Amino acid sequence: MTRYLTRRLAHAALLLLAVSVFSFALLQLAPGDFFAPLKLNPQISARTVEGLRAQYGLDRPWPVRYGHWLRGVFHGDLGPSFAYNSPVAPLLAVRARNTLLLTGTAMLWAWLIAIPLGIVSAVRRGKWSDRAGGVVTSALLTIPDLVLFLAILLLAVRSGWFPTGGMVSTAFGELSGRGRAMDIAYHLFLPALALAIATLPALVRHIRSAMIEVLQAPFIRAARAHGISEYRVLLRYALPVAANPLISLFGFSVATMLSASLLVEVILSWPGIGPLLLEAILAKDVYVVLGTVMLSSVFLVLGNLVADLLLFAVDPRIRMES
Amino acid sequence: MGALVLLAAFQFLILFAGFFAPYGFAAQDREQPFAAPTTVHFWDTQGHFHLRPFIVDSESSEARVYPVRFFVSGTPYKIAGIIPAQVHLFGVEQPGRIFLMGSDAYGRDQFSRFLFGGQSSMLAGLIAALLSVSIGILVGGIAGYYGGWVDELLMRGGELFLALPWLYLLFAVRAALPLHISQWEVFLLLVSVMGLIGWARPARLIRGVVLSAKQRNFVVAARGFGASDAYLLRRHVLPQTYGVLLTQMTLLIPQYVLAEVTLTFLGLGVGEPLPSWGTQLASLQQYYVLSSYWWMFLPALLLIPLFLVFYAAADALQEIHKTVAL
Amino acid sequence: MKVESNLNSGRTEPLLRVTGLSQQFVQRRTLSRSKFTVNAFSDVDLALFAGRTLALVGESGAGKSSLARCVALLDQPTAGKIELEGRDLLALGRKALIPIHGQIQMIFQDPTSAMNPSRSAGEIIAEPLVVQGEGTKAQRRERALHLMEQVGLDPRSEGKRPFEFSGGQRQRLAIARGLALGPRVLIFDEVLSNLDALNQSLILRLLADLQRSHSLAYLHVSHDLRLVSEFADDVALMCEGQIVEQQDARKLFESPKHSYTRDLLATVQSVDSILLERSA
Repeated sequence: MTRYLTRRLAHAALLLLAVSVFSFALLQLAPGDFFAPLKLNPQISARTVEGLRAQYGLDRPWPVRYGHWLRGVFHGDLGPSFAYNSPVAPLLAVRARNTLLLTGTAMLWAWLIAIPLGIVSAVRRGKWSDRAGGVVTSALLTIPDLVLFLAILLLAVRSGWFPTGGMVSTAFGELSGRGRAMDIAYHLFLPALALAIATLPALVRHIRSAMIEVLQAPFIRAARAHGISEYRVLLRYALPVAANPLISLFGFSVATMLSASLLVEVILSWPGIGPLLLEAILAKDVYVVLGTVMLSSVFLVLGNLVADLLLFAVDPRIRMES
Repeated sequence: MGALVLLAAFQFLILFAGFFAPYGFAAQDREQPFAAPTTVHFWDTQGHFHLRPFIVDSESSEARVYPVRFFVSGTPYKIAGIIPAQVHLFGVEQPGRIFLMGSDAYGRDQFSRFLFGGQSSMLAGLIAALLSVSIGILVGGIAGYYGGWVDELLMRGGELFLALPWLYLLFAVRAALPLHISQWEVFLLLVSVMGLIGWARPARLIRGVVLSAKQRNFVVAARGFGASDAYLLRRHVLPQTYGVLLTQMTLLIPQYVLAEVTLTFLGLGVGEPLPSWGTQLASLQQYYVLSSYWWMFLPALLLIPLFLVFYAAADALQEIHKTVAL
Repeated sequence: MKVESNLNSGRTEPLLRVTGLSQQFVQRRTLSRSKFTVNAFSDVDLALFAGRTLALVGESGAGKSSLARCVALLDQPTAGKIELEGRDLLALGRKALIPIHGQIQMIFQDPTSAMNPSRSAGEIIAEPLVVQGEGTKAQRRERALHLMEQVGLDPRSEGKRPFEFSGGQRQRLAIARGLALGPRVLIFDEVLSNLDALNQSLILRLLADLQRSHSLAYLHVSHDLRLVSEFADDVALMCEGQIVEQQDARKLFESPKHSYTRDLLATVQSVDSILLERSA
């Protein structure tokens, strides 16, 4: 078990390293940097600009800067943010926490709804309820995420039932502990719902097909022939076997959810890493961009790693192979 | 199949946007910002039916009636950017305006901008998909045919690309691009980047096809009369991939169109003066637009049937391919 | 254990000589690190003469097809020599081998899979010429039509696809293609197994005619000993990757030397006698 774990961790670490080099090099390709627009301002002398650049080490060649940055990472220092005039790490930490809150909630809702829906569709395959469900999922899948999120925003604006942005209201500071939690929940509802709806249809489809495949296996027929109740057959026999493809699905869904969360955060103004990344790109705040990209890669790799470990724990065949 | 016909019709509309749109995409009317969609009447206030529809301009003091004319001469445009023309399908006399989908903050006709926007977005999607698929053929073909460590290396590389969240990757690469270069250069760079990121999945599929084609007896037989690898690939193996390629293209194009729209929407894609669905939708991020001007949402709604048609066409093509392939 | 070949008594030099040919596969057991070797065939000696047919007989899995593929230069053996008129073929480089491919051609068991289904008959037959860059388009077409006649196909059907022909006709198509480059040696891998009795005898007759007119050497792989007795000049019997007996066909059937041959002949004869009883 530990050998498998160490191998996967090493693989993940190498992957992340490759991503960091790739991203860093890519970012250096752009002509100009954060301070370039300042040069256009006649009131700021060229020397001041140069001084600023030197202060942040922007005048050194990029492999040097990369090495510097990498060393800093091991100390928890992700470089400076030019726009915020503060280190990147604490900035990112806050935003990351918010994104995790959002994606975690959305993922929970999505899976909690998708699993029973998928199972029921599989069991009632071909019947009216399954087909109706199929039509709805197809419809939802066709709607581009962008349009979906804009539609939800429209709903929020027109109905006034939900806040149209932000994580907390202006009166947050004065609320009690419970009040604060409620406030955040109130703001979280719509973005999480949007994200869940975006990822739900694909999940339902995959769960349904995984369950259908499992339910056709001979051992299920044997269990039924033994008189075991359908309920038990589903839960104790079918579901554990379907767990393998479902866990892989979980790994994949992390990736799609991360991409979708970026869009949701921007459109519904949730203060996560999405809007931060966008700002940083437009401002050429390179270390923030780098940190964000690395962070999202870390989430992704971690998600897949967790999925792999779960798979290892659940499926004895994989244990045997390694 | 109906879907394919519809898709072709859409493409036709967009290709000849200049003809179908009453106005150019940049034409502004500062006096009519955020005008609601113009109602087209067939019956007048006295209850008479007119074969030729007309619009009523109620803004001005006289409530002038403008009949809708067909095949009018209007803003010059170029078909496919090359052939100059001036005829538009319909229009009204100045200073009347026919805004089928309303107008935006600058008084620009949303309908015209929708059609023209389609040109940029669809073109971007098409070129990017072609690029991805081309790289996919190259990489997948080599990996599948030669196998061994080449295969391992290439597929691991593909894994790397698939493992990253594509939107973030797109952003990172976009961040690398200078923000102030000509719009055409942005377009080309954007398209190249999207194409370069998405090669992994087509490559993997093509590799599978090549692997199985390689084993087929007629390939072995051809080797038996001294055929070189290049010949085998060209004449026997690659033709087997055409089916997969076609279906991949039909799936990739809408994805890339969406990618371009999303990027432009966020301000990272093409910008003025090139029209795009992204720029049309960008105004929706503003509160007052969403709350007061409902017609601005129409382009978003119209995208839904478009994508529906795309996916249906992809399914239809798959069916056709399955029945044709022996 | 090497078996003395009784073929070369007072005859000319063999056209194709195989000495000590072996092929081994190394495989990894699934889910484990240990490797094990599989011998497809080992230490095989063969001799093919112009105008004579050597039948390679054995049960399924005896290694006949693997051997045939190596002799046809489609696979690499792990040891041994293949000589065509004294030239060591396995020592030749890729480029030098190209014309050699034209000298030794293989016809497969299933003609349908061996031909590209989207090509026409004429294209398929002419393809070897295209690959080797011979002749102009018109010349190739001429040759393809000529070959079609030779194998008994109507030249007017040159534009038809393989699936438009019957099973027997497809096999003729494959033979025509095999002849395109004017080979000296033809190798048949179970080409009669998929055909009915009528087609079998028709194809055999065609092959005999071709052999006579072009002085070809045949290596004919088959598992059907009875059928082999009808056309073979020489027989080599293979069992578990090794040649157990190899000699003139008549002598083999009359006085088999190896126990395996005897057993095999006995089975065939008993089947014959059962059939004979039934029909009586």
